Amino acid sequence: MSEKTHPLRKYMRPQVKKTTFCPGCGAGIITQALLRAIDELGLTMDDFVFVSGIGCSAWIPSPLFNADTLHTTHGRPIAFASGVKMGLPDKHVIVVSGDGDLSAIGGNHLIHAARRNIDMTVILVNNGIYGMTGGQTAPTTPHGLITITSPYGNAEHEFDISSLVTAAGASYVARWTAYHPRQMTKSIKKGIEKKGFAMIEAITQCPVQFGRVSKQGSAVNMMKNYKENGIRIEKAARMDASELLVKIVEGEFVDCDKPELISSSAAALQGPTGGSN
Amino acid sequence: MQKVTLFPQSCKGMEDCGICAFVCPKSLFVASEEMNETGYLPPMPPDEEKCTACGNCMIYCPDFAIAVEGGAVDGREE
Amino acid sequence: MGEARQINTGTHFMMGNQACAEGVIAAGCGFAAGYPITPASEVFNALAKQLPKAGGTLLQTEDEISAVCAAIGASWAGLKSFTVTSGPGISLMQENIGLAVATETPLVIVDVQRLGPSTGVPSVGMAGDMVQVARGSHGDYQIIAICPESPQEMFDMTVQAFNLAEEYRVPVFVMAEGFVGHMRERVVIPDESQIKLVHRKITQGGEPLTRRDFLDPEVAPMPVFGRGLKTHVTSSCHDEYGMRNLSDPDVMHRYIMTPIEKILGKRDRIVEVEADHEGAKLVLVSYGVVSRSSRQAAAMARAAGLKVGTLRLKTAWPFPDKEVRAAAESADFILVLENNTGQMYPYIKAESAHACKIDFLGPQVLGQIHDPQYILAKIREIMK
Repeated sequence: MSEKTHPLRKYMRPQVKKTTFCPGCGAGIITQALLRAIDELGLTMDDFVFVSGIGCSAWIPSPLFNADTLHTTHGRPIAFASGVKMGLPDKHVIVVSGDGDLSAIGGNHLIHAARRNIDMTVILVNNGIYGMTGGQTAPTTPHGLITITSPYGNAEHEFDISSLVTAAGASYVARWTAYHPRQMTKSIKKGIEKKGFAMIEAITQCPVQFGRVSKQGSAVNMMKNYKENGIRIEKAARMDASELLVKIVEGEFVDCDKPELISSSAAALQGPTGGSN
Repeated sequence: MQKVTLFPQSCKGMEDCGICAFVCPKSLFVASEEMNETGYLPPMPPDEEKCTACGNCMIYCPDFAIAVEGGAVDGREE
Repeated sequence: MGEARQINTGTHFMMGNQACAEGVIAAGCGFAAGYPITPASEVFNALAKQLPKAGGTLLQTEDEISAVCAAIGASWAGLKSFTVTSGPGISLMQENIGLAVATETPLVIVDVQRLGPSTGVPSVGMAGDMVQVARGSHGDYQIIAICPESPQEMFDMTVQAFNLAEEYRVPVFVMAEGFVGHMRERVVIPDESQIKLVHRKITQGGEPLTRRDFLDPEVAPMPVFGRGLKTHVTSSCHDEYGMRNLSDPDVMHRYIMTPIEKILGKRDRIVEVEADHEGAKLVLVSYGVVSRSSRQAAAMARAAGLKVGTLRLKTAWPFPDKEVRAAAESADFILVLENNTGQMYPYIKAESAHACKIDFLGPQVLGQIHDPQYILAKIREIMK
């Protein structure tokens, strides 16, 4: 009898035995939420191309996933993914990268891909800090938090990335914390099936960097915080800003259908002005 | 039937992670005294009698170190 | 895409940038990305209309960084890919040009160069990017760059650039100058059957760890996406199988050296020059639009009984070292003419100074093309 393996192991490159993440890092929970979504949709890895940037979470698909994977430069995975999708419109293109990668250095690509409504699914792993480089302030770091590059407290304000991408024109946007992986899987499934730009913002613990500077400490303590302060968007809508300060608003920010870039381009070519020279 | 399968070599330890213990509604996970290959202390096999196979430990384990079969694991909503 | 090509076979009076766009179509390009920039915009403008009807797709991106990245992504999707810009856009693309080199991605970049630094003068041509396309991304690497001197060559060299990119899995630059991009001249576009096209070799099956997808000096077949090959592509240091390796010094060495050797090892097949300096005492070395002035000045000098020859570098990178050395060793004097302050001059000097005297002559005013009379005056001064 062959030895038992984890049911999601079949989606991983056989030679990669472990994830690259620190103990307690939520990136592994998100990895599983994503693979579970693929599994539940009954799709295979050959239906996908995965693109990632630079940072801890960019290593979710590369080298772990036994699929076509493109590990790119810092901030640019959505730009690369746009070209991949235009070349392979029948494949699902999934970008997995972090808050620093996609909302700081790559912020412009994020909002413009959402605006174009190009069909891809972005898993934006938001740990509120630059983890791989040692705990520097990110655009998602809470105001006032002391980090290695804001030793007197972060004077800046953090992005609400899901609201940003919703405003930019995405077809589907949802946010879940690592304490809600089942809901996250459900949203990833919806994102994959959505014909248009979809983003799932996955709030997750970085116990090693964020946990240290925020004094929230361990992975478990950070997850307790998600459990206690996670609040559904429907309920949050009835609360005022001061009540929401420590809350993490979760749920679907947008779920709509509108013309997608590639199919719109193809349709325009056949349209009234497309036939003439 | 065995519900929970552990892959202790994939585990990054109850000390630094411990998420399985946190999410188990029956508090069935305690650290083993035996280190795995990389020096972490994985959980001991949980008490199968008390396990409801809710699937939490599997779904939350960041390191693919736990699998659960049977019970309410599939399609369970919180 | 080849079957859907819509080639404008015939003789035209055409702007260089339009001829470039015709070359993109003729080469069977499947994807073009771009961002508006003077003096290159006409290329993408033309493609916006023509490429979709030829079976390709386009993306006007939010910046040039995105343009080069999207083109690289589409190349991995299996398409012949293209972007076009000018100096400021090249500056923005640099990091990801390095990625294209490291991941051995076929890619054509047309650079319609302009007067810099900074915003400079967008509509005035200068060969301002000759070194930055070869040395501007961090790390050590080799690319291919070719230099058109006419609208006809904007067509011919664009097709050639696609062929070189596909054959060697490398970014190839067409180093036009604003003058050539905006110049209108006769352009002959041959019949489709007369246009030789090269298509990349594509990996045919096999498990990822049994396939040597990268780091082959003979150019590995490309494991393009979407065919179930489970290809691993990384911008990080990687081995022959594409797997990241940040610890083995031998892998690091091969990661840098093999893509360099892949180009330098084939330099005799890649490098093209026009050498017309047999018996010449003085050789004018130039490239791009300046070569036209150079040829005319040489003809005037010869008519006056002076032994003057020319060497035109059609290929700028890999650097035509042997060809320059041969000219230097057969002549007494090399005069380098460039439409800049001497970007290629140090490389030419390094191959010449041991054998003959060498000097540099920029245009009489930067941003103007050399007047042949001005070159002739310099020739007379040297040869008196």
